[in-house]
This record gives sequence, structure tokens and C-alpha cells, in this order.
Amino acid sequence: MSVNFREYKIGARMFGLALGGSMLITLLLPSFDIAASVSTDVALDKQLSAGWDSGWQLGDPLLKGHNKPVKVLVKNDPLTGVALAQAETVYVYPAGTSLPNGVTHSDNLGAGVKDLSLEKGKIKDAKKESGAVFLINHGAFNGNNLPYVENATATKGWTPDAVMAKADDANVSHVGSGKTMFVREGCWWCHTLLPEQTQDWQAFGTPPMLGDFNGESPTAFGSDRKAPDLLHVGSRNSSKEWMMLHFFNPRLVQPHSIMPRFDYLWGEVDANGKKIDFDKWRAEYNEYHEGKRVAAPEVPMYAKDSEIRGLIDFVLSLK
Amino acid sequence: MSWIFEKPLVTLSDTKKIESDKVLWEAEDLGGITEDNNRVPVPIVWLVALTVLTAFAITFPLWGQRPTAAIYAEYVQAMDKPEIKAIQSDVAAIERIVAMSQGSQYNAQLERHPVTMDDLRILKPQIEELTKKGVDLKDYTVVGAQVVLANFEGNFRADGSRERQQPWWDKGYTIDIFYLSYFFIFVVLIIKRLPPSTWQPRHGGEHK
Amino acid sequence: MLKYLFAKNEDIPAGSSAIYFGFSSIVWFVIGTGLGSFNAAKLAFPDAFVGGGEFFSFGHMRQVHVHAVIFGWISMAFAMAMMYITPVLGNTKLWSEKLGVWNCTLWNVGLSLGLTVLWAGMTSGREYSDFPWFIDLYLAVAVFIPLAVNVWMTILTRRTQGIYTTNWFFAAATFMVIIVFIVGNLPEFFHLTGLTEAYLTWWFAHNVLGLWITPVAAAIAYYTIPKVTGNPLYSHRIGHLHFWSVVVFYSTPAAHHLMSSPLPEWLKSFASVEGVLILVPAIAFVSNILLTMQGKWNMFVENLEVRFTVTGCLLAIPLNMQGGFQQTRAINWYVHGTGWIVAHAHLALLGFSTFLEGAAVYLGLQTLMKRKLYSLTLGNVHFWMLLIGFSIYWISMTIAGLIQGAGKIYEVPYIDVVIAEHPYMIARWLGGTMVFISNIVWLYNMWMTAREGTVVPAGRMPHEMAYER
Repeated sequence: MSVNFREYKIGARMFGLALGGSMLITLLLPSFDIAASVSTDVALDKQLSAGWDSGWQLGDPLLKGHNKPVKVLVKNDPLTGVALAQAETVYVYPAGTSLPNGVTHSDNLGAGVKDLSLEKGKIKDAKKESGAVFLINHGAFNGNNLPYVENATATKGWTPDAVMAKADDANVSHVGSGKTMFVREGCWWCHTLLPEQTQDWQAFGTPPMLGDFNGESPTAFGSDRKAPDLLHVGSRNSSKEWMMLHFFNPRLVQPHSIMPRFDYLWGEVDANGKKIDFDKWRAEYNEYHEGKRVAAPEVPMYAKDSEIRGLIDFVLSLK
Repeated sequence: MSWIFEKPLVTLSDTKKIESDKVLWEAEDLGGITEDNNRVPVPIVWLVALTVLTAFAITFPLWGQRPTAAIYAEYVQAMDKPEIKAIQSDVAAIERIVAMSQGSQYNAQLERHPVTMDDLRILKPQIEELTKKGVDLKDYTVVGAQVVLANFEGNFRADGSRERQQPWWDKGYTIDIFYLSYFFIFVVLIIKRLPPSTWQPRHGGEHK
Repeated sequence: MLKYLFAKNEDIPAGSSAIYFGFSSIVWFVIGTGLGSFNAAKLAFPDAFVGGGEFFSFGHMRQVHVHAVIFGWISMAFAMAMMYITPVLGNTKLWSEKLGVWNCTLWNVGLSLGLTVLWAGMTSGREYSDFPWFIDLYLAVAVFIPLAVNVWMTILTRRTQGIYTTNWFFAAATFMVIIVFIVGNLPEFFHLTGLTEAYLTWWFAHNVLGLWITPVAAAIAYYTIPKVTGNPLYSHRIGHLHFWSVVVFYSTPAAHHLMSSPLPEWLKSFASVEGVLILVPAIAFVSNILLTMQGKWNMFVENLEVRFTVTGCLLAIPLNMQGGFQQTRAINWYVHGTGWIVAHAHLALLGFSTFLEGAAVYLGLQTLMKRKLYSLTLGNVHFWMLLIGFSIYWISMTIAGLIQGAGKIYEVPYIDVVIAEHPYMIARWLGGTMVFISNIVWLYNMWMTAREGTVVPAGRMPHEMAYER
């Protein structure tokens, strides 16, 4: 045990210096740039509609799409029933739902957006226990027009229950639980959410800006593109029917697609509560595929509380 | 631990340290493995130097940019010329515009990103609007029918705004130069503390 | 093995934990490549194997394949090499065989649990750090910290004054992987969001490869080649250049994975220059190993371990040429997000790294069990099927990637790219399946070595004896 460590003391210190220096440059320095980013409208919409987190979380350990807000188009004032001059998109967090990152950690919103959200938006009045309704508003800060989060429960008295009681189901969009499905089903293994600023397919649309991600988790950019980018897919294709066929069996609408079938997201029953006979459907599809049937079997309409509803809502929300 | 700087390229250690290092080097059995004291071969030194130069050269934004608004600015101006307005056919008009812009610094990019008259009609008001604002058109890229701000978070301009372009130099490159220098200085110091490479340990003895 | 969990440390035969890790790693390799082959089949034939459930869906299985090979096969083969090589180089015994046996057991349990939850879709949604944070914590606390303790304590209680290069790498890498695990998963522990989350995801992904897989794989070659050939390592000096450049350069280029995201450009400039400089450790490593081979090149043909190691070492050349240059601004835009990168990742993990640690597992298991390899023929079958299968995979995915890159520039409708890639998807499946089958052969060969391999007499090394079958 009479070991001479002299030289390795120097080596160990140099090692610490090398690794520490590397982490200083690659972690500490960029953190100032990233922390300085200011949320855009896109970022606020994404974080309010996806909620706290879309990966594994204690509030939704099996990633069933729980602990999520819904996005509702409000046409009449939920309190008075009077028609609004302009329909408002609100994000309803029922009681017990984790609040979004910008509300719990308002620094994430960035300078200006944070100040407006705290002062005008009253976001600190929102409580997880009682739930809240948020919307995106705009205001002036140091001469700039900035978006901010408004806690409509505090500013207008719109409670989650009141909004949901008046909401027509057609105007309710389950974007939040859909993002969970997007993560859980691994859509991002093939579909990126990042049109590149260097040359890329123009059809994929505009690359995202620095402030477009604040409060989003996970960002699910994806890295291994085996299929089109989806960041703006809702602008290219807004047909719910097409999405439905495509998810049930992509080969129904795109014969050369290599995308897996997501028919299992329909669950047990269809919109009418009738049990879906998947085996029969597949057998008939195979006959159709082999040319023994003229038409492909009908794709069942999904139930209101099915997982596919959220996923389709999410994909269509990607404008 | 004393340092000797008489022949820095041979060794930086004094005779006493070198001798004790030599004894240890030859005597020690590291699980039956031995090491030689060969110098870093000259071709390897050159290869490393070449790597450093290449690293900077190829990190510059040479290719792969989306078309910027700047490359179409001349086209847009040409559209208002009476000569072009007089041409009835769109195909002939765009051919004439392209011919007029020969010699533009953006020739290569224009060739890669050709447009039709219809495209230009959509881009024209957007590009004119930006020109009026006096912004740098190179900060804007043409995505489909839209002219949008690029997301490159580049260098800061004097007025505090960002250049929306991939930079040819920025503080990242500057940090690199310092970082590299520290590395090579330290590694050379470490290596030169060893006995000179003219000396090779004699292995054998009790080794199997 | 399990009986040693509650035995006294002194009663556990030396090498037990290494053997345990060795066989575990091969089993995980079979499982991991089997999943890979299945996944590739899903891409080639999307309407085959439709079970109607989420458990056979590509999106649920891809990450299971990736994590089985990285944390099962590669990392456990590393642990095997450490349990065996670290004490040898210090002329001592492993600090604690008992800790090693527990380490391997907890590793197998934790990984099985982790892969099960991933399979069920319980993911953090972050590439390479897909495990939910409770699994990440488990891996840090029950897997990597005990491993580091055992390696560090073995080095500290060595009976030599110096520390051989391999052990520098082992000591540094076991420390760095813990840092990488803890810092890289901060977004999950503390719910960091947005671009911070995206950047740290790639900081983790880059560094788990750069500060764990690459240096440990290279360190193994620093042991295998001098040991088996009997040559001295060519240059201690190049060893210094290699070690320090790994720590300094390989730890910095994380941002080059996000060259087209709106990260600050200065960070991309810095990361990208550093990214090319990963060629410095690569040049040092390859030159040192190949120069050590001087006068013993016949063993490249005759000896299985040397052949594996030198092949891995040669594969490091295209690997680092790709890795260094594909991330730069001038090139990244063309290949980013295409099959090219998939091919590159397999060149790193299935080419370079697998061949190096394959040699260590072959050599270590024979040495520790004191049994000569059961069959050279099966060893050769394993080697060639692995190499050819990998090559088919790599070439087909590289071509597919170039097709995608060209499609991007010429604005080809995406579905046409999918159609053009289809033959290469089939080729990838064939190559991957060859790799899978070769590993079954390997497992059988190692199993038979344990049972029926010729006993190596005391004082002799397995590579000194002739192959018998």
C-alpha cells in the first residue's frame, strides 16, 4: 500500500480542470442565452395546450393522457351566455390538473411576457386544487406588443366547470392528451418536429424560432426522419377524416407508406358504443389488398373518449 | 519536480527525475503489459495540425443555405422596368430577368433556387416591404410563398439586434482558439516531462 | 452466481463478477439485436406482424432495442472488462467481488424493469435518455456508482506505482458517466423545459457516447493488443495525447446534434470545431494500436481476439471521419436526420465498439474460466456474420441517407423518398438479422466453452494455446 500518488494528484486536478472547463463552456455559457429567450405566441399556445409535461410524470404514470388540459373554443360568455364579439380559444385546467410551466415557473416566460402575465394576467392566482381557465392575450411592454398568459378565472370569473358546462363537444380539442400519445406511441421516432433552418423541404414550412419552445417538455424534435416533418402538418392537411383513415391503416390513403397501424388507439368500442371487430376488419382489409374486394372495409368512427381522438386533435393543432 | 528549459523539445525534466522514471518504467510490471517511449510520429503531428485547420474551414457556412430574400431583390427590382413590363409572356419575362441579372453575386444560389413570374409576384410585395424597412434581406429566408425571418441566432449588430445568418466568425470560434491552445500547450508539457524519446525502455527481465 | 450474493467476499472466486457480467452482456446482445432485427422488419414490411396491440408497434420497440444494446450489451461488456482488466493491470485483486456480483444482479434487474416500462410506452420522450427519471436514478445509484466504486477502489489499492493507460480511461470514464447521467437528466429531475431540455437531451446523448462508450472501448484495445501480441504499447506519449483529447474535445460538441435548431450560433461554431477535433483522439488511438501491431500482423489472421480488436480499430477510421465532418455546417444540412446518421450510429456501436469489447469478452471469459474457446470455426462464423451483416446494414443505410439528402434538395415529394428507400430497408433487415443470428452462435460457443472447452493449465494464457475445433 506504499503507493506514490504524487503524479496522479496533478493528473486528477488537470482532469477536473479539463472536464470543468468543458462544462463551463458548453453548459453554463449557453444557459444565459437560452434563459434570455422570450416566449412567442407559439410557445404560449404549446405550453398551455400541452400542460405540465407530456413524458413520464407522477400525474400520469402510464401515459394515458391524464393530468392534461383541454383546449376549448368559447363562442358565448360562459357566465352570461351572451355571444362574444370574437370567439376565444381558452385552455381549461380542471381542478387537480397540474398547471403549465409558465404559470408555476413564470421566469420561463421570458422578460416582458412574464411581467404582463403576472400583472395583467394574474397567473399567480391560479391554483391547481381549484383549476383554472387560461387564454392568450396581448399587451404593451416597453413599447413592444407581447403575448401573455391570462388567468381568465381571475380576470373574468370563467371557472373550468362553467366553461365546460357550456362547451359544445365539437369545440373541445384534446391537444394535451394527444401530445402524450405522440410521445408514448413514438411518433417522433420518424416524424420530426423541426423543419431545419438550413436547406430542407419547403413543404415542411417555417423553421421554429428561439422563443417557440419555452415551457414545452419534451420538445420531441426527433432526429431520425423516416417520414415528413409534422411541425406545420395542420396547415397542409386539416382533414379529420383523412387523419382517421391514415391512423387506422396508413395504406388506405397512402399505399406506399411504411407507417405502423395505430388502430389499437380506437380502444374497444366505436362512437356508437359498438364493439370494434378488429380481426374481421383485418381479414377484410387483406381481401381488399389481394384484390378480392372492391372497397376497403369502413373505418369505424372513434369514441369521444378514445385515445385516437387526442392524437388527431394534436396533429391537427400543429399549424 | 524541477523543470529544465534548456532543450524544451527534448525534455523538461531534470536528470534526477528522468533517471528515477527510467528505473520505474523498466522495473514495473503492469499485469504483464509494457509500454514504449516512441515519439508521436511526424505524420501524426501533421495530421493533427491539418485537423485543426480543417475544423475551422469546414465549420464555416459554405453550403446548404435556404434561399434568402436578398437573392431575389434584383429580380424584384427588374420587374418594374418598362422593358420587362412590355413582355407579354411570363416565360419570356422571367428568362429576360434572369439574363439581366447575370453577374449578380447570387448567381449560384439563383441557379439552385429558380422561380417563376408567379412566384415573384407573390414575393414582390413582401420583399419591397422589407426593403422599405431597411432591414438586411439576408436575414430573411423564402419558405414556400412566404418571406420569413431566419431562426439563426447569430452575432449581435451594433443596434442590439441579431444577425439572422450563420456567422463566418463569432465568439464560439474565438473560444475555440483559446481552448485548443490550452490543450496543446498542456499536452506538450505533459509529454515533454517524460524521458527523451531517444531513450527506450528495455523490457524483458522477469516479464514472461 | 446468485449464491454469491450472500457469501463472504473472501469466499467468492476471483473473476466471478466478470464472468457474470460477460455472460449477461452476451445475452443482452442477443436480445438487443433480436429486437433490432424485428424493428427493421417492421420498417421493411409494415403490414406484417400486425398483432393489433401497442406492444409490437415500432414506436414502442425502437427505444427498447437501443437501450438493450447500449446499457445491456455494450455497458455490461465494459463492466466485464473492468472487473477483469483493472485488477490485472494493478497486479491485485478486484476490490470487492461481492459488490461486483451485486452490481451485475441489480443491473440485470434494473435494465429489465427499465426496458419493460419503455416497452409499455412509459418514456420521458427524450432520445437516448428515454428512461423515466426513476429508472435514471436507479441506473446512477445502483449501477454506475457501485461500478465506479469498485473500479476506483481497485485502482487505489493497486500494487504498482504507475497506472497503465487502460486504467486511466476506466477511472475517468466511470466517473464521467455518473456526471453525464446526473447532469444530462436534470430536465427530468427538475422539470427543465424548452430548448434547455432539448439541449441537455443531446448533451447527455453525445457524452454518453463520447465520455463512456468511445473511451472505454478504446481502453480495452489498449489492453487486448499488447496483452495478446506480447508487444509493448507503441507509445506512452500517444496515450497521453489520446486520453487528454478525449476529455477535452469529446466532452464539448453536444450542440452539433442540434445544428438546425435555434440554439445560439456561437455555441454551434464552438461545438462544431470541437466536433472535428474528435479526430485527434481517433488519430492517436488508431495509430497507437496499429503501430503496436508491428511484427505481429500474422495474428490479425490467426488470432480471434486480435482480429476483432484490429477490425474495430480499423472501423474507427471511417467512424471518426464521418463523425468529425458530418456535423459541420458545410455538411450537416445534407445528411442530418437521414439514414446516414442511423448508419453512422451503427458504425459506432455495432462496428467500432462492439468489435473491441467482443474481443475483451472472448479473451476475458477464456482467461477467467481457464478454458480454451470451444470452437474456432464457430468463432469465425460469428466474426464474419457480424462483419458482413453490419456492412450490409451500414452500406444500405448510408445509401438510403444519401437518397433522403438528395430528396431534400430537389424537393422530391416525401413518399417518393420512402419508395426509393424500400430496397435498402429490406437490406438493412437482412444485415441486422445476420448480426442477430451470429450472436446466437456466439452465445452457444461461449456456453460450450464454459462446459467443454479444454482446460488452460495454470501459468498459461488461453491465446498461447492452439484452437482445437
